[in-house]
Amino acid sequence: MAKLLRVLEREHCIGCYSCMQACSRTWFSALTCEKAALRVRNYTGVEGAFSIRVCYGCPNPDCAAACQTGALTARPGGGITFDPKKCAKCGDCARACVPKALQWDYEHNQPIPCRQCGVCVQFCPNGVLGMIDPDAPVTEATAKPAAVPAPTAAPAPAPAATPTKEAR
Amino acid sequence: MPAFRMMTIDLSTGRSEITDVSDLFAEYLGGTAVASKLLGEVPPDVGPHAPEAPIIFAIGPFSSIYPVATKTVALFRSPLNGQLGESHAGGRLALALYGAGIHVLRFVGKAPQLSYVVIEGDQVAIKRACSLQGMSALATERCLRDREDSDYKRSIVRIGPAGERGSPFAAVTVDASRHFGRLGLGAVMGGKNLKAFVVTGGHYWKLENKAAYNVFYKKIYDTVVKSPTMRKYHELGTPVNVLPLNKIHGLPTRNFSQGSFEGAAGISGEHFADKHLSQQIACAHCQVGCIHMATLREQFSAEEHHYKTFKVSYDHELVFAWGSNLSISSSDDLLALLLVCEKQGWDSISMGVTLAWAVDAFIHGFIGPKETDGLILDFGDAATYKKVLKRIIAGHNEFYRDLEQGSAYCSRKYGGGDYAIAFGNNEAAGYVTGLHAFLGYATGVRHSHLDSAGYSADQSYLQQPKTDEELTKGIYKEAVWRMIPNSLVVCLFARNVYAKEIILEGLNALGFTGWTEDRLMSLARRAHAMKNRYRIDRGFKWSELKLPGRLLRTATSTGHLTNERFAAEVARYQGLAEADIKEFAL
Repeated sequence: MAKLLRVLEREHCIGCYSCMQACSRTWFSALTCEKAALRVRNYTGVEGAFSIRVCYGCPNPDCAAACQTGALTARPGGGITFDPKKCAKCGDCARACVPKALQWDYEHNQPIPCRQCGVCVQFCPNGVLGMIDPDAPVTEATAKPAAVPAPTAAPAPAPAATPTKEAR
Repeated sequence: MPAFRMMTIDLSTGRSEITDVSDLFAEYLGGTAVASKLLGEVPPDVGPHAPEAPIIFAIGPFSSIYPVATKTVALFRSPLNGQLGESHAGGRLALALYGAGIHVLRFVGKAPQLSYVVIEGDQVAIKRACSLQGMSALATERCLRDREDSDYKRSIVRIGPAGERGSPFAAVTVDASRHFGRLGLGAVMGGKNLKAFVVTGGHYWKLENKAAYNVFYKKIYDTVVKSPTMRKYHELGTPVNVLPLNKIHGLPTRNFSQGSFEGAAGISGEHFADKHLSQQIACAHCQVGCIHMATLREQFSAEEHHYKTFKVSYDHELVFAWGSNLSISSSDDLLALLLVCEKQGWDSISMGVTLAWAVDAFIHGFIGPKETDGLILDFGDAATYKKVLKRIIAGHNEFYRDLEQGSAYCSRKYGGGDYAIAFGNNEAAGYVTGLHAFLGYATGVRHSHLDSAGYSADQSYLQQPKTDEELTKGIYKEAVWRMIPNSLVVCLFARNVYAKEIILEGLNALGFTGWTEDRLMSLARRAHAMKNRYRIDRGFKWSELKLPGRLLRTATSTGHLTNERFAAEVARYQGLAEADIKEFAL
């Protein structure tokens, strides 16, 4: 079974965003946290609680079910594959993801699918994230970061359109 | 080559303008050096509260690009002393400014009514905020977070009621309890009717040289995550200093009259971690997480089981200012007082040290029950301190309104100057380690312990004695060098991570070629000299630097001080500073 990304220790998060920076630069060559396929969400004020929304690689993903054009499809082993050529840029996929884990690229007006590569795990200083075999019991050994494959081509740029704020 | 842009917002006219300032960054690197150049162009007759007086926020070439480059620099003319106002804050502001595609944000003018500003990329909206009038710094953030949604990470920067009232040591709060604390930026914002601003945007630099960048990034990341020197900031945080400082008689106690506090164990980093620490959090793109959040649970109904729980951040400076220096040994009392400061938006060091002055002034008869309207001020009396703060907030009488003007102001009006522990009107930070801590506060361009770390020089003396001359030259050198981390802008906690050769490697990996060690050093000296020129042109006089009388009677970590020794080292420091001003023909 392929390994999938999981939030292992949400309460360990300090909110440094290194995971998002790593994802953005690896897959988009973008020096930002905004291109990441995951989000560390902040909540108001000094309370300092974080909620980490990552793609859990659902076996029957709501995002793919919501896609009317076949751009997003369920991937064997969990997660999704994305064909930007088929994308209608409607934002239905991102809205369908209940935990708001599927991110939206406002520059290219299309979703940012998680490749389940684990680069975010490698740049988490506190063991918040891990790549695990979802069918295996979670142990210390299975929670270790996986190796990161070389990125394949990033999603093709698309003409700008009005961002769908509700998608976030 | 990535570009640098400046946004200027005129609050009087509502107009905003974006200009390319890449040339300025090519010459001055960024952050504090760029902001000093811009602030220096404002004529000296423009006072701190003149509408045309700018507030300049600046980030640098490393901001949001490399680990721990988290700070934003703010420059302004200080209402506390009329000289250089400079303060730095973390949080998400540097990330948000970078995301908005601006490296310098400049506010000028004065809004016609209380307002807040929303900056989303190039778009600027100035909105009425009369419904936020008098709202605490914490509630303001909650309201704006609800109201101003964004597709991107945001930073929310605001003042509390203290800034609206014009307290010259009012702070500006950034996101989750980070602050532009010192020298009164909050009052300048308040004077401009600027209650808050929100910054956001999706701009970014494209990664051009991926191989060089990734190698460099990983090296810095690993150093930050694994180095023992950084780990201490995450573990106990800066309050790790409380017990060691106490042991060497360097912890300010009862208004700097002593360097050791019998109740230190109750306010130590270890105690806070055991009893209150709920979590550590980080500024955006910092893997250290030095922000320590304390939780305090209080029962507010004795008859029923009604409880409230609040969180407030703490660090060494807050622990000294509201703990040992007021003889408070209960961490519960300390945190409750800190929360009032957070909500009001005062600089916690200045308010705490001013309160310590008031206690001494009361004990020594400069003020009495007539001024305090019946309250008896004494060290260690947290219940009365809470009443004092309430009366300041309510503007109870002239004395209480004066208290939020600072210890220097109060001592000029009521007497007790010996007990006003302030340099350049800026209340002193948490060290009584010896001559060079105080020399650093006095001579520093922003009268801060962070200017030259004189407290560190004193402690090095305990390890290996040096002459006053050697230590003075050492802190001058440190003050000059800090212009570079403050221009990049990296957090000073990570100053040892970013050594000269590392900085050059990082600049090269981004395509900023042409920098050398010599050029960095020359810029550091020039930027430092520009700041000294600025304050000298606005009334700063080396000859007016004095030790408050109290400090002549305090046994510091390195012994008692004399006026003669202090004056001799001020003169030496002045000589070094003037030589740089002359060399750069400023």
